[in-house]
Amino acid sequence: MNTPARILLLAIALVVLAPAAASLILAMPAFGHPLSHYGMAVNALAPHLRNVSNMVAAVNFDIRGIDTLGEECMLLAAVTGTVMLLRGHRGEGMGEHAGGVPGRKQAPRSDATVLLCRFMATALFLFGIYMVLHGTVTPGGGFQGGVIAASSFMLLYLGEGYAAWRRIVRGPVLDVLEGSGALAYALAAALPLAGGYAALQNVLPLGTWKDLFSGGLMVAVNYAVAFAVIGGFGMLLLEFMEETRAPENDPVPDEENE
Amino acid sequence: MSWAVGALLGLSALAGLLVVLSRDPRRQVYALCANGLVLSLLFFALQAPDVALSEIAIGTVVTPLLFLVTLAAAAMNRARR
Repeated sequence: MNTPARILLLAIALVVLAPAAASLILAMPAFGHPLSHYGMAVNALAPHLRNVSNMVAAVNFDIRGIDTLGEECMLLAAVTGTVMLLRGHRGEGMGEHAGGVPGRKQAPRSDATVLLCRFMATALFLFGIYMVLHGTVTPGGGFQGGVIAASSFMLLYLGEGYAAWRRIVRGPVLDVLEGSGALAYALAAALPLAGGYAALQNVLPLGTWKDLFSGGLMVAVNYAVAFAVIGGFGMLLLEFMEETRAPENDPVPDEENE
Repeated sequence: MSWAVGALLGLSALAGLLVVLSRDPRRQVYALCANGLVLSLLFFALQAPDVALSEIAIGTVVTPLLFLVTLAAAAMNRARR
């Protein structure tokens, strides 16, 4: 399609869609205007029913906790698929050093980078753990805290280099984290069934409002999500970074080139 | 607060436009990074800190990083052949 035809198509689309969009935008309620009865009901009921002060965690881990179990399985399946796809082609061997694009200059790492990355990686990891621990109290929770903690691994790569990074961030440890997190969530859903309750029913003591361990079963589910997310995203970063390592003495021959 | 929301909405439109208009893949990744940052500020201004945290971790750090790594792996693979 040539440029005038594209512009003509754009003009027609604008003529049709712009008035519709404008009328919709003008008919929208103002910011902060309470609209959803569900949201208002959760805000009114959850602090007394579940003793938590983070309503998003109450919705995700308790009120529609089964949905989150499905999302947990999606994450597990997506990471497993990525690992199988990448590792199946590349093999499980570990390289000695990172690869590089030939002809692209690699500047040596400065001491300031190393020092800053050590501080920042530690601080970022601790911040992720803090966010996980306060999941039912303040904004954040297992998913957000887990991703933040996992992203601190990349600062290790930046600061310490490939070999040290591979020594610190262990694949099997991440596997165990991810698998045990998903398993713990499934158990949290299934164990109440064995006692004659509904799946994921909050049978644990709820604790006190605004306390670190408030929310009963939500605390356990929150930690399970955090484990799975740290393991899953750590594994994802590890497998992608492995794609850029130096390819020497790769035990698996490249089938496509034969 | 509404002026901040308006300014951030304008900025997010600008950042999204930059992602579409940049032709070099690596620049596009950095534009995506900036877009994620603006979006997370917008979510924060709209009082959705949970979503803002997810956006800053996924949209600003992890996704652009995976794109960068993919570009590097593709360049290395091209150089090897």
